[in-house]
Amino acid sequence: MRVAKLFQKTMFGIFLLFGLIALSTSALCVYTVDKQLSSEYEANSQAIAQTIADSSLDLILNHDMSTVQSLIDQFNEIQGIKYIYVVNEEGEILAHTFVPGIPKEIMASNQLNTGTVHRQLPGFGEFIEVSSPILAGIAGSVHVGMDTGLIALKIQTAIGREIYLISIIFIVSIIGTFLLVNLAAKPLGRLGGYAMQLAAPGAPTTLKPEDIQALLERNDEVGQLARLFLYLSRRETPASFSPTSSLPAAP
Amino acid sequence: MRWTLTQRRLIFVLIGFFFCRQPSFLWADQGQAPQNNPSVSLSQSGAAAEGITDHEIRIGMSAAFKGASRSLGIELYRGSMAYFTEVNRSGGVRGRTIVLQAYDDGYQPDEAVQNTLKLILEDRVFLLFDYVGTPTVTRVLPLLKKYDNLHFLLFFPFTGAQPQREPPYDKLAFNLRASYRQETEGLVNHFLAIGRSRIAVFYQADAYGRSGWVGVREALAKQNDKIVGEATYARGTKYTESLDRQVAILQEVKPDAIISVGAYAACAAFIRDARKAGLNVPIANVSFVGSESMLKLLSDTGKEDGRDYTVDLVNSQVVPSYENLSVPAVKEYREVMDKYNPMPPADLVEADYKPLQYSFVSLEGFLNAKMLVEILQHMDDQPGRAQIAQTVENIQGFDLGMGEPISFGLQRHQGSDAVYYTVVQEGQFVPIRDWKEWFK
Repeated sequence: MRVAKLFQKTMFGIFLLFGLIALSTSALCVYTVDKQLSSEYEANSQAIAQTIADSSLDLILNHDMSTVQSLIDQFNEIQGIKYIYVVNEEGEILAHTFVPGIPKEIMASNQLNTGTVHRQLPGFGEFIEVSSPILAGIAGSVHVGMDTGLIALKIQTAIGREIYLISIIFIVSIIGTFLLVNLAAKPLGRLGGYAMQLAAPGAPTTLKPEDIQALLERNDEVGQLARLFLYLSRRETPASFSPTSSLPAAP
Repeated sequence: MRWTLTQRRLIFVLIGFFFCRQPSFLWADQGQAPQNNPSVSLSQSGAAAEGITDHEIRIGMSAAFKGASRSLGIELYRGSMAYFTEVNRSGGVRGRTIVLQAYDDGYQPDEAVQNTLKLILEDRVFLLFDYVGTPTVTRVLPLLKKYDNLHFLLFFPFTGAQPQREPPYDKLAFNLRASYRQETEGLVNHFLAIGRSRIAVFYQADAYGRSGWVGVREALAKQNDKIVGEATYARGTKYTESLDRQVAILQEVKPDAIISVGAYAACAAFIRDARKAGLNVPIANVSFVGSESMLKLLSDTGKEDGRDYTVDLVNSQVVPSYENLSVPAVKEYREVMDKYNPMPPADLVEADYKPLQYSFVSLEGFLNAKMLVEILQHMDDQPGRAQIAQTVENIQGFDLGMGEPISFGLQRHQGSDAVYYTVVQEGQFVPIRDWKEWFK
């Protein structure tokens, strides 16, 4: 099916517009989701670290590390939390959730630092690590690692859904535009054929008399042009012509 | 003799009183209580709510009967049931048979909590018994604290972890076995004594593994030493899985000995992969491992690979060897196991499970059951949960047949401190005669 030349630019414009919308909304979505999820996960992790720090104080002071381990294991089941470890005031890791072992990067880092750090742990992934001091830091600290891969996955999912929606709207729009363009292009084609017939009365044509009649009876611009062509073909003076005047008889 | 009217009236009243206050012995043998006596009915419903009727004592168990650690739950159940069956067939405890209501938790803490809720609130058992595992028990203990007013106690869990041995939960549980701290301290001291001071730990990444890790750490700290390296595995790891990464981590630190705190499937896989990688130092396991199940896995693989994976394998135990027939309890255990060979209800056992004739785990189950029966015997005719703790705490120097007296007390909720060390010889675990074999 061929798109009328007249509307090819319109179609191109629609493509361009939708592309622009898709790009800008995706970029906005990435930014918003990333920002919101990161801050949400960070806040949640901070709260978890704080909760563990508060509830493990007595346990740590009583050297009940198996209960501390049980506690952190429960929190480690929360989506997005990838690892948790508890260190004492000397920086020694007393409980953790790492399998198959504590990454060297963690061992080498300053575990007494209670700020937020970004970590890349080979074999584990990328993480944002938040910490909370236990008893103002004099009994150690709790560290919670959030999986940034999960945030990336959530962003991808959000963008994917948005692109999916835009694609559906785009396809529906293209089909709709195509049908509308065709609806407008069809009478124009007939008008062209009619004009050619008037210019060269003996030439072969696909137009049937009822098509011409329908064309001349139209109330829109196409009907007006058809009547004008007919009028001009009968060599009447333009001054006496009125597009709203009564229809001339069909040939 | 002529009775006066007053005398006749008095006799009539006495006879009437006698029939109204009919003593229990008049109907006890008939197996049913009068239904129209409100005081008796109330007393009975109260007892039933405590898991005890005139005919039975219902106790509850949650353990791994399925999954990677199923052997532990099944064998513990089998050992206990062998003894309970013997007691029940001999008339029970003061005429009451012992019913062990068991549920599978697959060694998962959440399931253990759900099972315990069911046992407490629906089954209304008398007490909890033979629970398996540290991660499960540590999650159940707060539940017992919550229902403190109902006086539920946990008896003889199959774990040597500290939480049920220390405040705030120490009063809620009674342990028969020695702790992991005692087991690991013994292992550490023996290794240090033969010059193996670079000790690494391979452990399950949960409360159980941590408990063993702490034991090793503290034992080494007493000697001004430290753990040289550690590797972990996830609970539920199967024997078919590769533990090469854990082996590589520990190989890097060049240990003199490795103490392994895990379940049989993962520990056996670790030993297999360690030996394949040339890590040939002694590897010690604590009692929870399930020695026979581990031995079977390693022996089967050894036959296929044409090598012996059981060399330099040391297992600590909290019960004597089931091969040592000079121990009276062992003799009795083997007799009842041979006689009854009990199995858990069919819905708790997977079809492919092959029970072990004897094992350290089922021996422990047997000893747990024997100790519990002794406790129940010490209670009065109408036992209540609130009286159990005091009854147990009064037991002093009881001869369970293990070779050492069992004592409990107000500050002592652990009956035995005995730890035994074993090694594989001719396809079975036997006591270690001399640690110098591994002298370095």
